[in-house]
Amino acid sequence: MINPLIYFLLFFKASLFSTGGFSNLPSLHQDLIANSWATEADFAESIALGQISPGPNGLWVVCLGYLTYGWLGGSLALLALVLPALLVLAVAAGYKKIEHQRWVAGFMRGVTLAVVGVMLTVVWAIISQPEVDWKGYIIGAAAFGLALTRKVNIVLILALAGVAGFFLYR
Amino acid sequence: MDTIHEAPGAWKLLSIWGKIGLQSFGGGATTTLLIQRNFIDIHHWMTMEDFTQYWNLCVFTPGINLVALTILIGRKLAGTRGIIASLVGLLLPSAFITCLLTAGFQLIQSNHYVQAMLRGIIPATAGVMLLVGLNFSFPSIKQAYQEGLISLGASVLIILACAFAIIVFQLSVIPVLFAAAVIGMLVFTSWRVKHIVEQGTVLEEKEQPVHD
Repeated sequence: MINPLIYFLLFFKASLFSTGGFSNLPSLHQDLIANSWATEADFAESIALGQISPGPNGLWVVCLGYLTYGWLGGSLALLALVLPALLVLAVAAGYKKIEHQRWVAGFMRGVTLAVVGVMLTVVWAIISQPEVDWKGYIIGAAAFGLALTRKVNIVLILALAGVAGFFLYR
Repeated sequence: MDTIHEAPGAWKLLSIWGKIGLQSFGGGATTTLLIQRNFIDIHHWMTMEDFTQYWNLCVFTPGINLVALTILIGRKLAGTRGIIASLVGLLLPSAFITCLLTAGFQLIQSNHYVQAMLRGIIPATAGVMLLVGLNFSFPSIKQAYQEGLISLGASVLIILACAFAIIVFQLSVIPVLFAAAVIGMLVFTSWRVKHIVEQGTVLEEKEQPVHD
């Protein structure tokens, strides 16, 4: 039997000690499996669904909540995702105190460049999946080109990619 | 300075973030690009520099970066009500649909045609992510270009070194961010300070909308 409070706290802990996306996965995996509140299949399904469904990828946790504990689980998971992010207000307040220090500009420039590097690793992680072949590279390049023009709706680009996938891989 | 267009009310924010959430198929890259398009390109409520600065704060915040970003943009545009409207708009409709999708998952997953379409969509999200990265790097690369070749070379090198460290050596993101920050501090600050002071650059106070 699932205890809602402990269930919420496990999700909250995972979110609090994570930095976005799927980094809360190991903690949740360990805790929920240990309590037998989730199965391996629940994890595999929610990660796959998180990629398809609308909204940030991090919403995969809402899938996990729904699969393991229904609507209540989904709601608790969502709440656990949002609360730690409010700490950004504290981070922003701290930044305001130091932003005119001499070293801060260079420090933040380093962070910006590192974030670009991290984004490149995401691109790499996506295209190095086994199901992405040379046809996938062409689709990816075409999507990049279309998005670059700023004239084509993103949903339309993804829909076109889906149509291309339908004809290329069916 | 760019003219700052009149800030939107909470209801307007709710509807914009709701549209962003519902159109964000394919994950965070799509969401990020939609945020850039809506708030920077279409409505001119913020600049790419604002966006970059906010994102830098978000990477040091626990949880999903995009949620933290939503909070900061909501607050900038409409205070506390803006935060609530933005979060509700981004998360509630998309989380609801996520649950519905989860409920219908067994039907979708086994379908061969759905799998084929997904194989097309996945690499397209990589293309979108690449554009998000380029957009993001643009202000600092432009600044480095104006400072000269050394600065530009150092910037590109830091980007590639971070990507390399994560992909090849499997380092986790936070130590890489801190290392790059310290390198950035050493490269872009110390020996440049005199130069900036001589030019008499005045730090501009950013206008901050007042909220009660």
